[in-house]
Amino acid sequence: MSFFEIHAQPSRTAVWTLSWFLFVAGIVSYFWVSSNRHRENPDDRVMPTLAQMGQAFATAALKPAEDEEVAPDADRQSLAAKLSHSMLWKDTKATGRRFFISLALLVPAVLLGLHMGMLPYVGTFFLRFVLFFDKIVALSLLPILFIAFGIDELAKVMLIVIGVAPTIILDSFHLTRGVPREQIVRGFTLGAGDFSVTYRIVLKQILPRVLNSIRLNLKAVMLFLFAGEMIASQDGLAYRIALLRRHMGMDTIIPYVLWVALLLFLVDAGMRLANRKLHPWFQEA
Amino acid sequence: MGSTRISTTAVEELAGAGADAMIRIEDVSVQYGAGDARKKILSSVNLDIHQGEFVSIVGQTGCGKSTLLRLVLAEEMPGGGRVLVEGSARTQPDRRCGYVPQKYSLFPDRTVIENITFGLEVTEIGFLGGLAPARRARRKEFRAEAYSYLKRMGLGESDGSKYPHQLSGGMQQRVAIAQALIMRPKILLMDEAFSALDPGTRAGMQRLIRALWRETGTTILFVTHNPREAVILATRVIALGRPRSSDDGAEVVLDLPVPDTIDEQKIAALIGRVEQSTYPNGIESEDAPSAQA
Repeated sequence: MSFFEIHAQPSRTAVWTLSWFLFVAGIVSYFWVSSNRHRENPDDRVMPTLAQMGQAFATAALKPAEDEEVAPDADRQSLAAKLSHSMLWKDTKATGRRFFISLALLVPAVLLGLHMGMLPYVGTFFLRFVLFFDKIVALSLLPILFIAFGIDELAKVMLIVIGVAPTIILDSFHLTRGVPREQIVRGFTLGAGDFSVTYRIVLKQILPRVLNSIRLNLKAVMLFLFAGEMIASQDGLAYRIALLRRHMGMDTIIPYVLWVALLLFLVDAGMRLANRKLHPWFQEA
Repeated sequence: MGSTRISTTAVEELAGAGADAMIRIEDVSVQYGAGDARKKILSSVNLDIHQGEFVSIVGQTGCGKSTLLRLVLAEEMPGGGRVLVEGSARTQPDRRCGYVPQKYSLFPDRTVIENITFGLEVTEIGFLGGLAPARRARRKEFRAEAYSYLKRMGLGESDGSKYPHQLSGGMQQRVAIAQALIMRPKILLMDEAFSALDPGTRAGMQRLIRALWRETGTTILFVTHNPREAVILATRVIALGRPRSSDDGAEVVLDLPVPDTIDEQKIAALIGRVEQSTYPNGIESEDAPSAQA
């Protein structure tokens, strides 16, 4: 069987090898180039070595943030106590808080999309406006948001909501419209009213797909959050990355970027697991 | 005074019009689109369907059978004329009419038992009342009743905890019928409900629906494109067709009572009559239900 045939059936070994190949190649290439650069210039800051990155990450994760008061017994504190006072934890907490507030604010977006799909007058009222809003580049609104809401949390959260909410509204709307008409009619013939048909039949059926849609938009949520934090913030992962960029602190920036990717991966996996547990019928359907 | 008199008369007329018929379809016309794209679906259809009748509506694909069913459901409003169920016109489907479509008949997010008890729960427990102990007891009763319906449909107790996608097409339709019948609807509307089933399962379902009709006395409107199925199931066969041209809306071209006891020869003759009305160009035409017929 040739490598480029549609009916090719890769063996387990081939699947494992091929799927990890690019990771290994990327890591090996990085460290090869990095070691070459460090041989030529031991003070190179563009491509830090593994030891440098490990050292920087340990400092970020275990040493108190610069604005934290250093306790007299700091060195004798437990690992958990050290972590809870660290720069990494402080930044993660700040970004996480904004991230989850933004996700919570997407719930009304889902409900709006549901009602637009179910109630023709509500759909007519909002659809054109949401379609228009969806075309606005959210980042272009950033200056307006900072002027209107100040540079505090609200502006950053609003940026995420404005950037992602129209997509979620439209997704929920289309998913609602995609529920077979037969299901709705059957609901009525079984004695359900408008409320029960909307929430007990349609919402329940679209919910796993809506969660998937939110999951697929997690990166967009993070993108808008990072833009907000990089421009105007006193804490947060993106703030830290922007700050370190000025000092060419690649030894901390790279672990921070990987840390963000890991967090996003964990949130994604968590949502997938929750979706599977909450909607067993959907996974198997 | 005069206006009151007129109004009262109008109400009396409306109530009286459908009093003797469970379903009255009065001079109903339906057309879709506008201008050049306008397409007539039904033209001046008149029908009275009485309580306890088992009526098959048969016709070629696209002749308006399902439209007629949707009119009775009140899922669609007629362009002209009126449709009365128990003497009143409705604006949206309600529990008087049970409905079994060809597909998407079950809620995919609920198990079989949850599907069957859905109607009882929404009508008797409501959205927020599910936690009170009395309601919990009521819910247990619903489940017991649902299991008895499941048994009557020839399904096992273990099927109750399955999701619809874990059932075969025939089993899904059995559950759909149980889901509709547990609400004791006055009318059961079935839209090509057995069309997607294999011939063996289909024959079993036909026997089942006929037995359930005898047992419950529910008025049944059964839409099919298969003349044989229409005749062997129903007490009355209504054929829709376009007698003049394909641009005209469909009309009732045959309204045929089917005797309860009838021999094979007479059944064959009736099927022949229905086929002739439904497929005037011959059974070999494109729309003819080849293997099933």
